[in-house]
Amino acid sequence: MSTTTQTSTETGTRAWTGRAMPRKEDDRLLRAEGEFGDDTPIHRLGHVFFVRSPYAHARITGIDVSAATRVPGYLGCLLPEEAASLTEPFMEIQGPPEGAEPEVDRCLAGGGVVRFVGEPVVAVAADSREAARDAAAAVAVDYEPLRPVVDARDAVTPDAPVIHAQTKTNVAWEGLYDWGDVEFALEHADHVISVDELHFHRFSSTPLECMVVTAQYDPGTDFFHITGGCAMPQITTLMMASAMRHPAERIRIVSKDIGGSFGVKIGMYVPATAVALLARKLRRPLRWTETRTEHHYMGGHGNERWFRDVKLAVQDDGTVLGLTYEALDDVGAYTRYEPLGAAIWTQVANAAYQLKHLKVRYRSVYTNKGPVHPNRGYSRLQHMWVVERMMDIAAHKLGFDPVGFRLKNYVQPNQYPYTTVNGCVYDSGDLPLSLRKALDLIDYEDARRLQERARGTGKRIGIGIGSTLDSGTNNFAQARLINPHLPFAGNTEGGLVRLGADGTVYAVTGGVAFGQGHETTVAQVVADLLGLTYDDITVHRGGDSALSAQTGFSGSYASQFAVTGIGAIINATRKLSHEIQLVAGAVLGAAPEDIVLEGGLAKVRDDAERALPFDAIAGIVHFAPGSLPPEVADEVGLVGRAVYRAPFELPDLEEKFGNLTLTYATQIHACVLEIDEETGQTAILRYGMVDDCGTPINPMVIEGQVHGATAHGISAALFEHFGYDADGQLTAANFYDYHAATAYDMPSLRYDNVVSPSPFTPIGAKGMGEGGGAPLHAICAAIQDAVGDHGMILDSYNPPEHVLRALRGADAEKVKVD
Amino acid sequence: MILPPVRYVRPQSVAEAASLLAAIDGAAVLAGGQTMINALKLDLVQPTALVDVHRLEELRGIEVADDGSLVIGAATTYAEIAASPVVRHHQPSVADMAAGLVDRQVRNRGTIGGNCCLNDPTNNFPPLLTALGAWFHITSTAGWRSITADTLFAGSLATALRPGELLMSVRLKPLPEGTRIVHRHLQLAADSWALARVVVRLDVIDGRVEDARVVLGAVPGSPLRLATVEQALLGHPADTRLTDAALTAFDEADVETVGDAHASAAYRLEMTRVQLRRALDDAVERSVAA
Repeated sequence: MSTTTQTSTETGTRAWTGRAMPRKEDDRLLRAEGEFGDDTPIHRLGHVFFVRSPYAHARITGIDVSAATRVPGYLGCLLPEEAASLTEPFMEIQGPPEGAEPEVDRCLAGGGVVRFVGEPVVAVAADSREAARDAAAAVAVDYEPLRPVVDARDAVTPDAPVIHAQTKTNVAWEGLYDWGDVEFALEHADHVISVDELHFHRFSSTPLECMVVTAQYDPGTDFFHITGGCAMPQITTLMMASAMRHPAERIRIVSKDIGGSFGVKIGMYVPATAVALLARKLRRPLRWTETRTEHHYMGGHGNERWFRDVKLAVQDDGTVLGLTYEALDDVGAYTRYEPLGAAIWTQVANAAYQLKHLKVRYRSVYTNKGPVHPNRGYSRLQHMWVVERMMDIAAHKLGFDPVGFRLKNYVQPNQYPYTTVNGCVYDSGDLPLSLRKALDLIDYEDARRLQERARGTGKRIGIGIGSTLDSGTNNFAQARLINPHLPFAGNTEGGLVRLGADGTVYAVTGGVAFGQGHETTVAQVVADLLGLTYDDITVHRGGDSALSAQTGFSGSYASQFAVTGIGAIINATRKLSHEIQLVAGAVLGAAPEDIVLEGGLAKVRDDAERALPFDAIAGIVHFAPGSLPPEVADEVGLVGRAVYRAPFELPDLEEKFGNLTLTYATQIHACVLEIDEETGQTAILRYGMVDDCGTPINPMVIEGQVHGATAHGISAALFEHFGYDADGQLTAANFYDYHAATAYDMPSLRYDNVVSPSPFTPIGAKGMGEGGGAPLHAICAAIQDAVGDHGMILDSYNPPEHVLRALRGADAEKVKVD
Repeated sequence: MILPPVRYVRPQSVAEAASLLAAIDGAAVLAGGQTMINALKLDLVQPTALVDVHRLEELRGIEVADDGSLVIGAATTYAEIAASPVVRHHQPSVADMAAGLVDRQVRNRGTIGGNCCLNDPTNNFPPLLTALGAWFHITSTAGWRSITADTLFAGSLATALRPGELLMSVRLKPLPEGTRIVHRHLQLAADSWALARVVVRLDVIDGRVEDARVVLGAVPGSPLRLATVEQALLGHPADTRLTDAALTAFDEADVETVGDAHASAAYRLEMTRVQLRRALDDAVERSVAA
């Protein structure tokens, strides 16, 4: 692994930050002593099971629960009408279309209609999970099937059935993004590459732990206590509070260990609302533990997107001028977090390139499929995939070297901070260096020789590059691009650091980790700031919405913790440092600013004889405040609570112009892939990944996340697909049919990094971990390279059968060069 | 999914297991549970009781009988088979199959008997054991019987086992000198289901095919013997022309494939042909080399 020189930062001495410290979390996790959603024992716990729709689209004509009530252990149920009377529809981000009513989205099927297979219709509680399942199976629901819409392209045709009668259209949101002058560029470019249609397929992140919600209602205080892996606790609280007409401050959400989220658990408020209502009704603590099949139905799919009428303008010398396409984003049956994806892709409008002109007509479209949720690389990877495909196709069709073509068009190191067509600011990076390192990892020249040697052997070899960005710390004002009436602006995170009565330091962050090692990285940073050791710092796991560590945007999503979470912890630690300086100064007879924190001591600068250990400071404040000057004792609580505010302005909504994200980590992947010409089977022979996420806090944590994102991307490119048949039945409802890659499927991964510190963040670090889907780009490019331009790779999902079709010339006619 | 309530009994002997299977109407045998537990969760089977034979010593173990046959206890795990030098020596194709079967967790639990008795079309062993001409020793309170693989495997998810019967062991006679066994399969991923599976057995004597078995897996009716192909191979010189002769005799109408989330029916059929050709080429090559 190589690193470039790190710039100095304002954190001063850094004994711990930047080192590959073993993770604090791993000891308990490896001993199986973590506490996940389903682990917490609760007295009198009842269990919830959902009766789910077997139809993609149907009217509910009758529900009979009488047989369920006779199942031993049955406690009660929640029916759709009851849910409707007890709740308001969940907030929808886009607001209703002009002259129409909003879509109706409730915790159980709303308006007497089911809109996707697996949609919850009735929530049934019983005193065991098995009894709840049996009782749910005994509920009889009568349906009158309606014609489903399973393809977004059909959903926008005039004769398509309308999924939400109120909205009168299947287009949930529609907008035009038009930056520069694409028409001029296309008209005057030396070449225009046109592709009729490309498709980005539907898949998810497959967290090890599915969703778990435990709801307890305390009638004495009118409090809901919700536990489970909640990735975005304050927004979840707000969504539940407004739906349940319940004060948000009387809903407490606690998470401990979380076995993955990757965005999809942001949708937890929907089942959590049903479980909470039923817990209140039955006066029993209730738990719902999602099965894998349930998770596949509605745990959250990634966005499926069609790109139509795609055109790329390219000059003779290889300069890319601009791009245009029409996007149909298939959001499934409910918008939920959507149509935010219609704005979020614009964080990376330029992808990795110096595009000057970009025009996209974007429609978010309802279909009778599982609702989409943010999913690792959310909405940006779809756009970056189509840009990378077009770059790749252009290189093939126009005869440019794929390496040189990218190098020429990348944003160059001397251009940072680089302003994109839409006013986003790429903070730092070195894409050419990253690409060179990635090519070194796969021994590019040798791979080309290997490719030559393979000719005529029945195997073909292809080499592919995936260039991508992981935009992090988003500006929530981007939601106003979707709906100008929304109040959101900027972004914050909270942190709390305190010195306990025994002199030990505790830190709590608002970001709830689901595997990213926050306890580790927080401890490294706090130890450096307080002059303590890594082992001195205890970091609370998970999150608790009742603690003041959280802010409205708190949570673990959008690649931001290294900026927002660490930023808040730094600010909070500084507050605590200041209090320690006040106390030590008062006791040691020095000015607070002359107190330095080093080696576990608060010392008077340049006077080794005058020092206090932290436990003495804690002891004085907690047990001998009378010995302190009153003005110090009155001010000091030995708690530092602070927020980090990302420096954002409001975008220009008219021009859709402004900075939407603070940092841009970059990932360049390179892949050597072999294809069996007779079967279309692929095998990855070499795989290189180069990550640049600014100043590293813990290189091992970074590399681990790079590996995870790569495994996910390889799996998505080759194995994972949420397909639906013509009736709207999910074809991959469990692991029999949905293959998530295991260690057996993974090639050996070769890693390197580049360090381009962000000039905009507290310690130069950037958020990372989503990875931008680089393997999808790299694998598609490698398959294309192997196929030549005989057939075209226009789909992000490439199992052997698709590859075989490409070898036989599939989709060649969809690409034109003018 | 969640397991349904089901009665569970663990007999201490094969005799007790047979009595329980006879006494409990609708009882099913539980061995390694690698298919049965999933089938229960998915509500594909609804047994009234599970008779757990996994720990019965009488059903475990690998030995060589007096006539040189290899006898593998029905509850012997894949891992035990893969690690056995005896299996490796007598029936290397069986050892290879066991060693390459999905992942270590499954190999440590799953049993050869369970794999055969479920006879899921995607299962690995039925096509191989059909090609090897295996015999299956079966017991019940009514006595015992031995049947061939061709008899036992009665179509997808079906066997000739009668209610109350328990598979005791799999018996593999020594292969004649000059016999080639080739197994070829195509999988989407390392531990996913086969999209196509072919086992070819050629008994070659003096350069000619004395006997042949060509068996498909991963198709409805699996393990499926291709009688016309086998017929075409009989007496054929074991040289490179053999593959063409077999493929000419291969009638795709004999094979039905079904599309699913992973591949279309047409692709599976085409891949079956590809795997068949490759298996035959391999068999001939080994034969020529020998």
